[in-house]
Amino acid sequence: MNRQRSTALPVLLAPAGSSRAVRVALDAGADAVYVGLVGWSRGGSRGELTWDELAASQRAVASAGRKLHLALNTIPKPRERAHLFKQIPAVIDLGIEDVIVNDAGILTMLRRQFPTLRLTASIGCGARSVADVAFFRDIGAHAAVVPGTVNPAEIREIKSVRGIVVEIMVHMVDEFVLLGKCSMPSYVHLKPSTLPASGADADAPEGAMRGVRQSGSMKRGGVGVCFKICQQPWELFDGGRRVDSRLFPSRQISRVADVKAYARAGVDVFKLQGRSLPVDLLAPLVRRYRDAIDAPTVPVAHEAALPAAWAVVGR
Amino acid sequence: MSTYELNTTIANLRDLRESDLRDYDAIYLGDIYCRLYEANFLERPGDLKEGLSILRDQGKRAYVTTYAGPRNEFLPKVHKMLEAAATAGADAVEIHNLGVLRIAHEEFPQLPAHIGGFANLYTAAGVEVLRQYGAVRFTPNYELSLDEIAEITADCGLPMELLLHGKMPLGISDYCFLLEYEEKWGVKCPDLCQKELFLKQGDWAMKTVGKGILSGKDVCMVEHLSRLLAEGHRYFRIETVSETPDYRREIAAVYRAALDRASSGDDALEAEWSETLLRHARIGLCNGFYFGRSGMDYAGIRPDAMGSLLTVSRVES
Repeated sequence: MNRQRSTALPVLLAPAGSSRAVRVALDAGADAVYVGLVGWSRGGSRGELTWDELAASQRAVASAGRKLHLALNTIPKPRERAHLFKQIPAVIDLGIEDVIVNDAGILTMLRRQFPTLRLTASIGCGARSVADVAFFRDIGAHAAVVPGTVNPAEIREIKSVRGIVVEIMVHMVDEFVLLGKCSMPSYVHLKPSTLPASGADADAPEGAMRGVRQSGSMKRGGVGVCFKICQQPWELFDGGRRVDSRLFPSRQISRVADVKAYARAGVDVFKLQGRSLPVDLLAPLVRRYRDAIDAPTVPVAHEAALPAAWAVVGR
Repeated sequence: MSTYELNTTIANLRDLRESDLRDYDAIYLGDIYCRLYEANFLERPGDLKEGLSILRDQGKRAYVTTYAGPRNEFLPKVHKMLEAAATAGADAVEIHNLGVLRIAHEEFPQLPAHIGGFANLYTAAGVEVLRQYGAVRFTPNYELSLDEIAEITADCGLPMELLLHGKMPLGISDYCFLLEYEEKWGVKCPDLCQKELFLKQGDWAMKTVGKGILSGKDVCMVEHLSRLLAEGHRYFRIETVSETPDYRREIAAVYRAALDRASSGDDALEAEWSETLLRHARIGLCNGFYFGRSGMDYAGIRPDAMGSLLTVSRVES
């Protein structure tokens, strides 16, 4: 299971929504895997691990000589945040060093209280310019994630910022509204919803106070519990007159053909979106990027060749 | 000089010249969504300087806003506008993007920064970070309730700016789907987004301005002014960037009168105020997220005073 990397290639960071998905991603060639912990991640209940699953996944990843990244990327309310911060030492004790967060304030607090953590400014932080990445470097981020809409030339410029790891989400859904800048679902419906029961020990560090999350809020509830109103048909009215029926434009970005260009531009991490992907789709997706990164030349595969089922519609 | 500030947004010189601003204390100049917006102040340093001069001549505080989602290639333009704002004596610059905040802080430290609603300010810790970059005023993310905002204010002691009335920004995009209609409608950019376009699905509605999505309903806080003042808020926005000069003037007149009355401890609302607010609300009224509910809900505390407001808005039981 150990895979030795002979050169300093960018890291392939794969998603996993279950312990099994973690093992599948490792087998498919991921250098690192990111997961969410129940109640604290934007992945929604289908893409989150219980504490026991997290511990088992960390053991599996560590024994393979790889890294597990933990997404704690909701924005908890103050009382919940205190609860979360109390549990961070247990996360560190598991051996997890990389944590993904979604708020500049929470990032700086974690940085101050847990200086050994490597903190990633998640894609929801909205970084996509050289100035954004410099900001997150300045406030103590170890890494910042930019969307796959950022091209290799932009990455080259962004990489002029020293002292921060640049991750690019090369496989993702590019929705109409920019990530981290959407309040459409919560405008339609915002409702506290009870977290799913995990069956884990009551003291386990998971779940926002074992209570609620804000269903509908992209930032606080998670995309897994947003209502995806952007994927539903709308009637377009000009004044009082209906003029069209339409969807918001969105597209699947799969930049497998560009991995060499990104690597030359200096990108550090190729990240794949899709914690809710079933394992039978996750494995070939990870393998495809593994092969593209390792290939001596630009792969012939291109975006259009990707099966439709690989589109991470549910993210 | 009033003890509170009522402000709004104006995107271009034409709109500024056509607007009666007597009831506003301050104006933000520029459209944050699109570089192609008709004669956007943020693309025209000369217009911006003239706009700032017009505002100063009227005794208004003059602010400049900035793009909410710039990429690398936009940054030189952003830099130019910050420079123009600084040299022309803008009283502050509004910033929605953390990279732009860093540029402003490093290169134009004399410009006070107001944090805009797209900067995703959710926490007091976030306020503390941004304060270190020269931010002096903060628009909390629109998703926060008044109770949550009060917690932040209690923690940091710094001023918040609240959307008092108008269409609430809900999203920003790189892509303008209105361009798909240029040929079909025979209307070209930048005139397309001047049309009054709504996206509807059942009783949901949102306004599109091309690269920006706004709430279909107008956020309306006229019934809650005493509470806002009592909680220490002094900076209030009427969002009119996509509205007519009539809307800008008439809505401000209502809120100026209502705020003056609320400042003296009188909560009574005039019937003609609600008539004006309703007449300008194409889809209806809502309270945004201020009461911890869905953004499009309306929770009137005095339905008797607001007549038919409840009949035009969906209310959760």
